[in-house]
Parts: sequence; C-alpha cells; structure tokens
Amino acid sequence: MIAASEPRQRPLDARLLVVDRKGKIVHLVRTDLVDFLETSDLVIANDAATLPASLVGFHEATAARIEVRLAGRRSLARDDVTRFTAVVFGAGDFHTRTEDRPLPPRLAAGDRLVLGPLTATVEATLDHPRLVALRFAESPDAIWEGIARHGRPVQYAHVPAPLALWDVWTPIAAGPAAFEPPSAGFVLDWRNLAAMRARGIEFATITHAAGLSSTGDAELDARLPFDEPYAIPQTTAAAIRRAKRQHWRIVAIGTTVVRALEHAAIRHGSVRAGHAIATQRIGPRTRLRVVDAIVSGAHEPGSSHHELLRAFVDDRTLRRVTDALVAHGYRTHEFGDSVLIARRAVCAGRHCSNAHVDRATTLHV
Amino acid sequence: MNNVRSIASHDPLRGIRVAITGGTSGLGLALVREMASRGAHVAFVARNRERVANVAREHPATHGIVGDVSRKEEIHPIAMQILGRLGGLDVLVNNASSLGPTPLALLGDTECEEFELALATNVLGPFRLTKALLGALVASAREGRAAVVLNVSSDAAINAYPGWGAYGASKAALHHMSRIWLEELASEGVRFLSADPGDMDTPLHALAVPDADPTTLKRPAIAAAELADLIAAATAQRASADAPSAHATLAGDVTARIT
Repeated sequence: MIAASEPRQRPLDARLLVVDRKGKIVHLVRTDLVDFLETSDLVIANDAATLPASLVGFHEATAARIEVRLAGRRSLARDDVTRFTAVVFGAGDFHTRTEDRPLPPRLAAGDRLVLGPLTATVEATLDHPRLVALRFAESPDAIWEGIARHGRPVQYAHVPAPLALWDVWTPIAAGPAAFEPPSAGFVLDWRNLAAMRARGIEFATITHAAGLSSTGDAELDARLPFDEPYAIPQTTAAAIRRAKRQHWRIVAIGTTVVRALEHAAIRHGSVRAGHAIATQRIGPRTRLRVVDAIVSGAHEPGSSHHELLRAFVDDRTLRRVTDALVAHGYRTHEFGDSVLIARRAVCAGRHCSNAHVDRATTLHV
Repeated sequence: MNNVRSIASHDPLRGIRVAITGGTSGLGLALVREMASRGAHVAFVARNRERVANVAREHPATHGIVGDVSRKEEIHPIAMQILGRLGGLDVLVNNASSLGPTPLALLGDTECEEFELALATNVLGPFRLTKALLGALVASAREGRAAVVLNVSSDAAINAYPGWGAYGASKAALHHMSRIWLEELASEGVRFLSADPGDMDTPLHALAVPDADPTTLKRPAIAAAELADLIAAATAQRASADAPSAHATLAGDVTARIT
C-alpha cells in the first residue's frame, strides 16, 4: 500500500473499502459511510484528543540529545500525569525512519532527562534499552503546560512536514489522552454526524488512550499495543445495552474502541460504565462480544491493528481485502484511506443470520 | 436574574467545568472570581504569565493558563491544558477582546494591522478555541451535562459608533457567528449565548474612553454575576432538557442583552 504523506484528515474523496456481511468487497468514498450504515446502528468512536507526546531534550548525565515519546499512563485521571511509560530515541528527529534511529545513551534508574521546561527521572528501565518508566518532577498543572507547549505530535518519516496538534486532533477530540491519534475518527466530521442523526443512527463515544502504533523496533513492536486506560461514559454504556436489546449493530470507529468495549465485556459480560485499563490483545482467536463492525485505517498485514481485524473476518477475506487495497492504490497510515469490515454472517445451509443477533441473545440471558 | 440563585437549592454552577479567556483583568477576572465562588471548576487564560500566576495564587482552586487566543498556534496548547486540567469542559466564555486601535480611531485612520488584531482576538480566536473544544462540549452534552458557550458581545456589535469600527465590526461578526453556531449545534445540545455586559469600569473601557467618569460605569463584578446567572439558567435548562426538541425552543434566545 502507499503511505499517505500529506497530513490531511480524510479529504471528502478519501476512499472507503467496505466488506459486507457476506464478505463482498465494495469501493466507496468517505462521504458514503453514512449511507452504508443502517438505521439500526449504534456508532461508537474514541473521542481522545492527542497529546503532543514527543518531547525533545537531553540526558543529563551524558548531555546526549534524546527524543522521548510518551507511550503509556496508568489512568486518565487529570492529576495522574506524573508517571508515564516512554520510548526513548537517540539524536535525530522524525525525518529519520524510526527503524534507523540510534538508541539513546544507556539509561539507568535515577537518570534525569531534561525535556524543555520539564525534568523527568527514569524510575525503571523496562527490559529494553528504549523503554522506560518516567516520573516528572513538576506539579500536574506545570506538567500539562510543559507537554502542551514543548511537546510535538508523535510523527513518522512518511509525512515529511512537521505535524501540528490540529492535524492530529479528530473533529470530536475531547479529553487529551491519546499518544497517537485515534485516526479512524478522521473519517468523521460534523456534517456526517448530523447526517447520521437525521437517519436515526445513534452515536456515542468512549475515551481510550490510544498508544504508539509503532516504534520501528521489532522487539518493542511485538509488545504493542501497550496497556491502555479507557473510560466509558454512563450514556454510552446505556446506549450499548439498549442497542443490544434491540439487536442493533455496534459499529466501532477504530481499533481502540474495539479494544475498550471488548475489554469491558470480558470483565463484566456486558459493557459497564467506568474507568479501566485494556490489557488484552485482539486477534483471530478472540470472540467478539460487543462489536459487530469496524471502521479502521487501511492497515498492512503484520501490524497489531491488522491482527485485530482477524477477529472480524477470516484470513481468506482479509487477504482479499489486502489485495484489493493494493490493486486499487489505497493509502495506508494515519492520514490514509479507510475500511469498514462487518463481521461475517453466520451461515447454516442456505440460511444466513446476523452473527450479532445470536450473540446478543447469549449476552442477555 | 438573581432569583435563579435564590430559588435553586443547589447552584447549577457548582461542579461545572468553566474556561474563561481574558481572565486576569476587567470582566474576565470578575467572572473567574464569581464562578469560583459559586463552586465551578475554573480554568482561565491570559497572555501575561505574571498576572496569570497572581490570579491563580489569589484563587488556588483555579487553573491559570498562559496563552494568546489571537495566535493560531497557541489555540491547541490552550485547549489541551483546559481539557487536561478540568477533565473536560461544560462552559466556555470567550471574553478576551481587543479594541483594535488605541486610542480609538476612525475607520479611515485605522491601520489594517490594527483591524486584523481585533478580528484575530474577537472573531478568529473564539472561532478556533470553540472549534478545538467542540468535541469536549458535545461530549458533555451527550453525557447529560451542560454545554454552553458564552461569547461576550457589545452594543457596538449592533450600533454604529464612530471610532469603534474595528471593535464594533469584529464584535458584530462574533455575534453573528454565535447565532450560526447555535443553529448548527442546537441538535448536538450545545447552547450559544451572545451577551452584552454593558459599559463597565474596566481597563479596556479606560483605553477606549479615557475620560469616562468611573462612577457612571457598571462594576465588572455586577456584570459578572449577571453573566453567571445567565450561564446558570442555560445549564439548568440543558439539564432538564431530556427531549431533543427541547433545544429548539431555546434557539430564539440568542442575544441576552444585560444592562
């Protein structure tokens, strides 16, 4: 697939590949999304705003230049911004592919990192030369200010122009929680939200601290996604209960929504409101309890995002999707095109029923 | 308006998350004090770091944010700090204002750059900040909380006063933008108010009319209490509005003129 190199959130003519319940592939444009949704759909998006999680500075002991990418946090509590897990790179910036970035100087517990107005202490190294637990010295207000003013959005070499926060905040961005944009949400805008409402399609949100999508380090990437805190509002949990009762489809905008909702359902059997940390991986062996369809970016095989899609459809269908994305020149990465994949209908003989209907009954016994 | 407070056993402003721009002087400072004293969680924005620190010290429960809403690249850092520190947002007060040329000048004598500054502060700043915070405001409405944007207007937005060209034209644009936001977002549950607080004894007024007799001017604290009541009324209406159609009945009440 072609890497999308312009920081434009899904232009009106951005493409949308749809896999319907029968596994049929249809090529549409972004604005067709609302037409493809059904009046009995509940669409759920991640409203996390994206932190400028890339902080440049130096390692105090060696004066070596470093870039710290904040990558994880224990909770979404507004004062809980003192401790982060972080990936540390050596000198250089995003223009160099992360694969080619040098390691930082050898880091040890107690090392101080000076990051613009902020100072962070390495609390622990986490079994990898790039991965550390950090603790900022400042007050929560000063940490918020330091990140807001000194931080830059995490960025990769395939987009050459420096990103600004407005490039990475989705139109519905609310709580600043994500380390990289929940970019499936770029497909939304206020016009299609209004169009959904007009068609009787329900819309709700969760907040999920979407983590780094890649570090360029195969060993670290194999550990992705890291644990991610999320919050499900009361109104969203209630909307899901209502939708399930009425056998509506739950359409997740993005992999993070799937991870949060399915994590909540593992814990309680159904989605409850509240705060928690998603720790699970989703892949071909995952039984989805909540989500019936996903809108996602056009991901390449091997990535954790692509693994997650295997929970929705069989590998043969996904291979057809990948072939179609390549053959039709779809663009991948944050600012690329989208896919909508509905779970395969369960077929017995000539009769196909909707998988989610069967599941809904089992959920509410 | 004061009856809102006395009737309510529970002030609807208690626990509401409010952001106020231009929060270190005049009406903005009075609003910070009024909102904080009524139990709201307040973040305020202003350009001068020392003054921000002073106001934050005076009101330890508030969060001071240094930033200039007229500058495009500062909007998202400001928005991020508001949302980070308050954990979301229920009420945005776009109060920071620029007079344009000072002393006031006839339009024919107004430099383009002075007009641009008035537009950047009074129109583009509120537009950009509202847009950056829209996701949070709509999320708040969706969760059954308040979602109110109060844009501080002026009678110069309606009446043509010689010498007030840059200010009046920019406030007119802000007022009209408030009306359009309201039309577009009523169905999302966000209320937009455009309110004229009247002629007040503030640094901005002193810049505009240096020889005005302060005793003839309204005290900012009085105007702030009135605006807070207006916001309280809007949030209370929102809280009781359980049917989407209830928002439509609010649509006519765009301009609240307080004198």
